[in-house]
Amino acid sequence: MIKKVAIVGVGYTNFRSTTPDLSYRELTYEAATKAYEEAGVDPRKDIDSFVSTAEDFFEGYSIADEYCPDQLGAVLKPVNTIAGDFLQSLITAYMMILTGRLNIVAVQAMSKASNMTTLGELELFAFDPVFNRPLAENPHFVAGLEMNRYLHDTKTTREQCAKVVVKNKKNALNNPYAGHGAKITVEDVLNSKIISYPLTHLDISPASDGAVVMVLASEEIAKKLTRKPIWIRGVGWCSDTFSLESRDWGESTSTRLAAEMAYKMADIDNPKKEIDVVELSDIYSYKELQHLEALKFCNKGEAGKMIDNGITEIGGELPVNPSGGSLGVGHLYECSGAQKTLEIVLQLRGEVGKRQVKNANIGLAHSWRGVPTTTSVIAILGN
Amino acid sequence: MGITEKINRNIDITSWKGKIPVNYIYTAGIAGEKFFREIKDNAKIVGTKCEKCEVTYVPPKIYCERCFARLENYIDVGTKGTIHTFTILHENLDGTKKEEPTIIAVVKIDGTDGGLIHWLGEIDPKDVKIGMHIKAVFKSKEKREGSILDIKYFKPI
Ligand SMILES: [Zn+2]
Repeated sequence: MIKKVAIVGVGYTNFRSTTPDLSYRELTYEAATKAYEEAGVDPRKDIDSFVSTAEDFFEGYSIADEYCPDQLGAVLKPVNTIAGDFLQSLITAYMMILTGRLNIVAVQAMSKASNMTTLGELELFAFDPVFNRPLAENPHFVAGLEMNRYLHDTKTTREQCAKVVVKNKKNALNNPYAGHGAKITVEDVLNSKIISYPLTHLDISPASDGAVVMVLASEEIAKKLTRKPIWIRGVGWCSDTFSLESRDWGESTSTRLAAEMAYKMADIDNPKKEIDVVELSDIYSYKELQHLEALKFCNKGEAGKMIDNGITEIGGELPVNPSGGSLGVGHLYECSGAQKTLEIVLQLRGEVGKRQVKNANIGLAHSWRGVPTTTSVIAILGN
Repeated sequence: MGITEKINRNIDITSWKGKIPVNYIYTAGIAGEKFFREIKDNAKIVGTKCEKCEVTYVPPKIYCERCFARLENYIDVGTKGTIHTFTILHENLDGTKKEEPTIIAVVKIDGTDGGLIHWLGEIDPKDVKIGMHIKAVFKSKEKREGSILDIKYFKPI
C-alpha cells in the first residue's frame, strides 16, 4: 500500500503582467510566507527539504538553482531545483516523502516574465542550434504549425478555439488572483491581429508574473496540521522527442501517456465521470481542446463539441480551467503548473466563491511547458 | 515573517538593464556532420534508417528513438516531400510586424518518417495546402556553407 501524502498549505501572490515593486526573490518570499502560515510550519525548524523550480537565464542568471534557498527559508537545508515545471517539482517532493525519510517538504515556482526584455530570443535559444535556430523566427510559429495540423486532423474549427478564450477570460473575471479576465466575444478573438496563422493574438496567453509555494506532508503529519488535507492520488509525467522534425504534430502524445500513468495510479477508469474539475494547459487556445482529448475526456476530434455544448463551463458536466487558465490568469512559464495545482487545491477545499465547482472531490492539474517543449505533467488530487 | 512595507510610488522604482553575452560553438556530431556535408557538397538530403523498426530519420540520428539501436545506415532520401503542416508568420522575433509574412512548414520528406522545418517559397500564402507536394531549392554550390540555410526554401512541384 502506497503511503499517503497531502498538500497542507498553499501560498501565492497575485498574478499580474508586471510586478515592479518586488524582486523575483521577494515574490517567492511573499508566497512562502503565506504558505508556511497556512500550514502552520516554521521553515527553519519544521521543513525537512525544499524543491524549487528554476530555469537558467530566465532571471538573468546562469546556475539559477544556487539562488533559490534564501527566499524559501532553506539556507543550510536540503534543497534541490528542478529545471522544469512546478508539477515536476511537486512530484519530486511527493517522492521524497514516499521514501519515509522526510515528513514535510516545501515546493516553489515563480515567474517574472516582465523582467525579460528579449523573451522571443530567449525562447529561440531553446531550439536546436543547427536545424531550427538559423531560421531565427518568432517561436510562436511552432504553435501555428501545431494548431493548423490539429484543426486539419480533427476538423475542429477556429471558432471552437476562440470559444476557449472567451470561456477562460470570463472565468478569470471571478478570480481575484487572475490578471487577464475580460468579457470578449468569439469575433474579438478571430478578428484580433494574426500572429502565426491560424493563431491570433488573443489565442495566446499573455506572459505574466507571480509565485506559488506549497507545503506537502506525510499522512500522519498532514492530519495534525490541517483539517482540509488535499491528497495526491496519482501522478504522471512524460517527455516526447525534442525534435521538431519527428514529433507528432496533431496530438499531445506525452499528455496521453502521462495521463495513462496517473489514471492507473489513481485507479481511474472513466476520467470524465470520475474527475470533477480540471485545470489543464491552455497556453494557446487550441491546446485546451487538444489536451482534453489526450487526457481522454473525449475521443479525438470531439473536444470542439464539448466547448460548443457548454460541458467545460463552470456549471457544466466537466468544468475546465475555472480559474481562467493561462489565457485568463497569464502564462507563468515554470510556474504554470503551480497555478493549475493551486486552483485544484482551492476548488477541492471549496474556497473559491463565485467560481466554485459544485461537489468537487477529485481534480486534475496538468501542465505543458510551452513551445518548443513536449513535456507534460499531471497530478490527480482528492479531498 | 512577511512583508510589511512595500514600495508604493512608481517613481521610486528603479531597474537595471543587464545583458548575458554567450558565445559558444556547437559541433553537429557524427550524424550532423554527414548531413551538412552532403547538403554542402552534393545538395543532397540524407537520413539514417533503423532496419528493425523500419523507421527512417531525417535529420539523421546515430541512435534509434524507438529501440535505441546504433544507426549507421545513411541513405539519400531525395529532396522532395509533402507539407505536413504550415503556418504563416506575421511577427518578427521581437514582436514587431514583418514587412512580408513568411510561410513555414513541416516538410515530410518522401519515403521517410522525418522531415525538415523550413520556409516555403515561390507560392502565394493563400494557395498553400496541407498535403501539397514540394521540393527543396538549394543555393548555388559556391554559396553553400554547410548550413540548413543552404536550402533557400521548398517550392511546389
Ligand atoms: Zn529502431
